[in-house]
Amino acid sequence: MPGRWTKRILAVYFVLFLLFLYGPMIVMAALSFQGPQGTVTFPMRGLGFHWWNELVSGSRADTIRETAIRSLQLSIVSGLVVAVLAFTLSMSYRRRFRLDGVLFYLVMLALMTPGILLSLGTSFFWRFMDQQTSLWQTALGTNVVWGLPFAFLIMVAVWNRYDSTVEEASRDLGASGFRTFREVTLPLVWTGLLGAFLFGFTLAWNEYDRTALLAAGKNTLPLEIFALTVGSVIRPDLYALGTATTAVSLIGVGLFLLAAAIVLRRRAQTTGDVREEYGDVETSGGLAAGVPGSHTP
Amino acid sequence: MSDSSEREERPAGLHAEEIDEAEQVVGERAEEMALGEKERAGARGRRALTTAAWTAPGAVWLLFFLLAPVMMIVLVSFWTRTVSGFESVWTLENYEFLFDSNVYWEQLWNSFWHSLVIVALSLLLGFPVAYFLAICVTSLRFQIALFIIALAPFWTSYLIRAVAWIPMMGRQGALNTALQELGLISEPLDILLFSDFAVTVAMLQLYILFMVAPIFFMLAQIDRSSLEAARDLGANAFKTFREVVLPQSMPGIVIGSIFVFILTMGEFATVRIIGGGTVSSVGTIVQTQVASVQFPQAAASAVFLVLAMILGVFVLLRFSNLREDL
Repeated sequence: MPGRWTKRILAVYFVLFLLFLYGPMIVMAALSFQGPQGTVTFPMRGLGFHWWNELVSGSRADTIRETAIRSLQLSIVSGLVVAVLAFTLSMSYRRRFRLDGVLFYLVMLALMTPGILLSLGTSFFWRFMDQQTSLWQTALGTNVVWGLPFAFLIMVAVWNRYDSTVEEASRDLGASGFRTFREVTLPLVWTGLLGAFLFGFTLAWNEYDRTALLAAGKNTLPLEIFALTVGSVIRPDLYALGTATTAVSLIGVGLFLLAAAIVLRRRAQTTGDVREEYGDVETSGGLAAGVPGSHTP
Repeated sequence: MSDSSEREERPAGLHAEEIDEAEQVVGERAEEMALGEKERAGARGRRALTTAAWTAPGAVWLLFFLLAPVMMIVLVSFWTRTVSGFESVWTLENYEFLFDSNVYWEQLWNSFWHSLVIVALSLLLGFPVAYFLAICVTSLRFQIALFIIALAPFWTSYLIRAVAWIPMMGRQGALNTALQELGLISEPLDILLFSDFAVTVAMLQLYILFMVAPIFFMLAQIDRSSLEAARDLGANAFKTFREVVLPQSMPGIVIGSIFVFILTMGEFATVRIIGGGTVSSVGTIVQTQVASVQFPQAAASAVFLVLAMILGVFVLLRFSNLREDL
């Protein structure tokens, strides 16, 4: 184990690291609460909600509201599609099949392909097929491709820790395949599904590159933010907008963690109750569970 | 992995995966043995159908929105430019144009080099973070909490995080002001915004999480008692680090490096926001070509960007045999 001083130094370093990560965002949030004379840099000029007011009722408010709603819709649908696709795809990886390696690399390619290339290629592809790109046909497609690999890896991890014998037990007790799925499988993996949705949602909510060439004039919020940053003079209301979207993301993550914590606690309780009633039950996941994951000689 | 010579090298350590597979095969055989000849083929067919049904939605989606677009870029790079886009007439013009363009190669090299620098910096700065979280924090609950706090920015907008650097940098930014207050500089530094330096710092902040997370996951698997054992056996801190910690974290380092390298190579939006108009990347070149409806040229630029990425990944993979080590 590292010595006490190493630990202390690293702890200080960790705090500095968090400062590096969060500092700029905190500064940005602070600068959004300036008075009407406020500019984009320090010092703070006055205090107040002027720029937040500007955000919700100023000249840009309508466009921003419109794009925010559009982004929200796109992200929710994207999250749902990502969760469904990650689930179905990961289901097939519960056993080995031909071409499983190829498909795995395809999923990883989704992770590795730069967003700008994906949106460029998709716009080419649609042009080639003489189709118009649009938010729901093309931008949704590329946004899902971005969330899918993360969600897929989550689901694969979920299945790795999943004990399939409970499904066998359910079948042996006479439940149909669908009933087993609905009453045994789904309740056990839905936190993973929620995590998959979360990835699909937040990545689409924040994505610029993959939507850039595909939205066909219907801007999403990130596109609007980019236009406001690059195409015009920056004002503190952009900081307010940034703070707001960051808050949406963080609240989403927070809600997910809360839900996960509640589920885990309840499950721990149920396990405890079962133990009390029936005594300790061996819950090993078959032969492989006894073998550690790493296999260095 | 299926190489028989490799298997002979360590007969004792059966792979968990292989055991899994064997178990599955045994299960399937047992199922089949209970059936007749005809039903056996049927069971196998049904399994294949089930697998096909589960894979189809995801595979089709990826075919449509990933594979087809990537192949389209390669195709279009060999097609002819028209006023409104491209037509499928084969040509090498786009590549000839590209090879004549010094600006492009300079930029590609710059991006390549710049990405490697960011990889090195994120490793240097990110490793201690992962080490602290995985090794020094002993309470599991505390560990998870700190890890989530460190990772939460991943779920926020990278555009906004880039924008957030604007008040920090700039002539009257927080950094310049702080440095002047401290008396370290007398004149505000100009390099802080719209410069390579600014872009590097911002990208480091954006992508260092992709380095920290994989290293953390690898280090978290270290049995802490093995570190104690190393010390008890007389290894000093440096030796323990080199012979226990580093080998264990290597796959994480390689995966993290590939992530950071790829993401920064293809970066476009951050460069535009932090770099202003003064810093460019291959991404911004592609974007400019698209904006001026030079689609085939943009495609050709993109092809070489991808080739450079593949080269970079190949180099990084040399540092670890991922399939073996994971």
